[in-house]
Amino acid sequence: MKIDTALQVPLITLVGPPNSGKTTLFNLLSGKNYKTVNYPGSTVEYYTSRILPKYNIQAELLDSPGIVSLLPESIDEKVAVDSLYSHPTLGAPDLVITTIDSCQLSRHLLLPIQLVSSGFNVIIVLTMTDILAKRDLKVSENRLSKSLNCDVVAINGRTKQGVDNLIKLINSNLERIKTAEKKNILPHSLIENKTNLLDTFKEIEEIVNDVYEPIKVDKINLKTANNELKVLQDGSASNGFTPDEITIKIDRVLLHRFWGFLVFLLVMGLTFTSIFWIAQPLMNFVDELFTNLNSLVLENFEPGWLTFLISDGIISGTGSVLVFVPQILILFLILGLLEDSGYLARGAMLIDKPLSKIGLNGRSFVPMLSGFACAIPAMIAARTIPNRKERLFTIFIIPLMSCSARLPVYALLIAYLIPKDNAWLGGFLLGGIYFLSTISSIVVAWIINKFSKRIFSDEGSSSFILELPSYKIPKINAVINHTYNSSKQYILRAGPMILGFSLVLWFLTFFPNINPQVEKEGLTTEQIQNLERAERLEHSFASDLGKIIQPFMTPIGMDWRIGVSLISAFAAREVFVSSLALTFKVTSEDDEEQSTLLNSLTTAKIGATGEKLFTVATSIGLIVFFIFALQCLSTVAVSRKETGGWKIPILQVFIFTGLAYFMTFLTVNGLRFFGVQ
Amino acid sequence: MRTAAELNYREKGIISEIDYSHPSSKRIMEHGFTPGQTIELICKSTFNDPIAISIRGTLIAIRKSEAGCIKLK
Repeated sequence: MKIDTALQVPLITLVGPPNSGKTTLFNLLSGKNYKTVNYPGSTVEYYTSRILPKYNIQAELLDSPGIVSLLPESIDEKVAVDSLYSHPTLGAPDLVITTIDSCQLSRHLLLPIQLVSSGFNVIIVLTMTDILAKRDLKVSENRLSKSLNCDVVAINGRTKQGVDNLIKLINSNLERIKTAEKKNILPHSLIENKTNLLDTFKEIEEIVNDVYEPIKVDKINLKTANNELKVLQDGSASNGFTPDEITIKIDRVLLHRFWGFLVFLLVMGLTFTSIFWIAQPLMNFVDELFTNLNSLVLENFEPGWLTFLISDGIISGTGSVLVFVPQILILFLILGLLEDSGYLARGAMLIDKPLSKIGLNGRSFVPMLSGFACAIPAMIAARTIPNRKERLFTIFIIPLMSCSARLPVYALLIAYLIPKDNAWLGGFLLGGIYFLSTISSIVVAWIINKFSKRIFSDEGSSSFILELPSYKIPKINAVINHTYNSSKQYILRAGPMILGFSLVLWFLTFFPNINPQVEKEGLTTEQIQNLERAERLEHSFASDLGKIIQPFMTPIGMDWRIGVSLISAFAAREVFVSSLALTFKVTSEDDEEQSTLLNSLTTAKIGATGEKLFTVATSIGLIVFFIFALQCLSTVAVSRKETGGWKIPILQVFIFTGLAYFMTFLTVNGLRFFGVQ
Repeated sequence: MRTAAELNYREKGIISEIDYSHPSSKRIMEHGFTPGQTIELICKSTFNDPIAISIRGTLIAIRKSEAGCIKLK
């Protein structure tokens, strides 16, 4: 309990079942000016905001993940419930506002009843009243208020009708609370058990029979409304409405045994295509922007460690964070549209059976899909999986999804393997890589599942119960708003980490040989700079490191330079390409045709033997390495945070990188055995 | 006794009781599956599992193994 209440503003917490319009109400009251806060001790986040000044209420508003009841199952729900009873930094809420879908009273009333009986000060906000009005019905706020013993107000999210009433209620409640004695709030687990749940539902059924009433417009409507009402109040009949007719019609196709899966595959295919093809020009733009900025700095400042720190360290590092933003934006946008339209829940349902075969859950589907853009938001998305083992397992295999950071690596190696005039073959090969990586992640998941008891030490019962919301046209504004916020979160979370590691990498490749001595006669400034870079790298900490791992690189047909690039790829995979450029542009002997990275790769030779370094076999080997290896420190960091320990991230690094090495070894030597060099 | 998992396509049934010994029973009840309610099987997934059941005016996707603890009259 707060001691200095007088100094603090009151705390209002917003709770509600999923799909009850909670977020719409939050946006309405906060004006979208919210900030994200982490729940202490976990990474589960929720939003807080001051109520808009125009409403003239001094109070902090807290949004939380959707919950069906006060007895939580998933981590998301647990945080929502915990933050209700006592938030570690904000304390217990002075007032709880709960949103209830007025067409879904018979299910949604469970939460407010539990809230009231726990002793919270509750205001119920009835949403979706316009949909109910289409059936010529409304909910009697008075009667509902009397039966539940708390304030009730109906709000239309679109026309904002009813908001004034809500503000009045908030004010009067806050006034009352100020003077009243603080109530004791009981944890719900203490007062609820299974038989009680049945009693609560009986109570709800009685209330529902009582509170719906026809809107009095004209006689004809009154008649249809009364018919609807009769159906509603007919004791044994479905206590509530029948599901939306249009939704059922659409589901006959989208959840059809055959067509359903075909549509699902089509939707997924389109999602991927747009992630890659729409994002590509934008990513090239970002990439070019930072490359130009980099050369601008190099051209205009005296070469020295500070200049290089700014250009190769800070600017390139920032670039490698921002280059993924287009893909992340598009992924969140598509996911948002699919979720808001109601399809995402169907996708999870369709894929549940195949995923359960390898120890996963239909709810793993969205996190895994996000994994194709970036593992970091994907791991965070896994929080919605109630079963602990399935959640950990989903996080475990997410690094196997072919994230977008691998794309530049694949693109480079494909460009190297395939002649330029054969673009379709390149596209085909890229498709093949994605197909192969998906298949192999399924196989790996299946194998790891066999050892899951040892890794996750937690079985629990697997469960898949998911509400399939009615289809509706997505609210573009809300989706864009959400996309913007999620992307911002990604940049803030992953950005500093990637930038930090880029700087460390820069340090390793730049020091200790800061001022290399090279022959300058008859060379252009650029050639001198390149030679200096080469010399610097040759004697850098990174090269020392690379030479230590040389013995590991030889069996897979590679040398220390690729080794260094692979190590630098641990900062973020796409750094591999820039690191390769840095090492190879400068260490091969011919300086005539070194303008492009591809050319320098062609001429690169293994130091000791003089053999060609980038053969077909080693290039394919590298692709295979990137399919499996976990080389992303940000992913490791997020995995540690989300799993609450080092065990899983360490296992991930060793298993996936070991597997990558083994598979590369097999590929390179297998190809050589069959005569492919 | 039949359970919700054995419903045919578009068949209705009235819930008689919930098997409390099932670990998911609490969650199932929280979604509104209580005795006396009429349910209807709306769709089945491609692999026959999970199934989509209409309850209290909404659609709930549920695995057959869990629908098995919803006993019908």
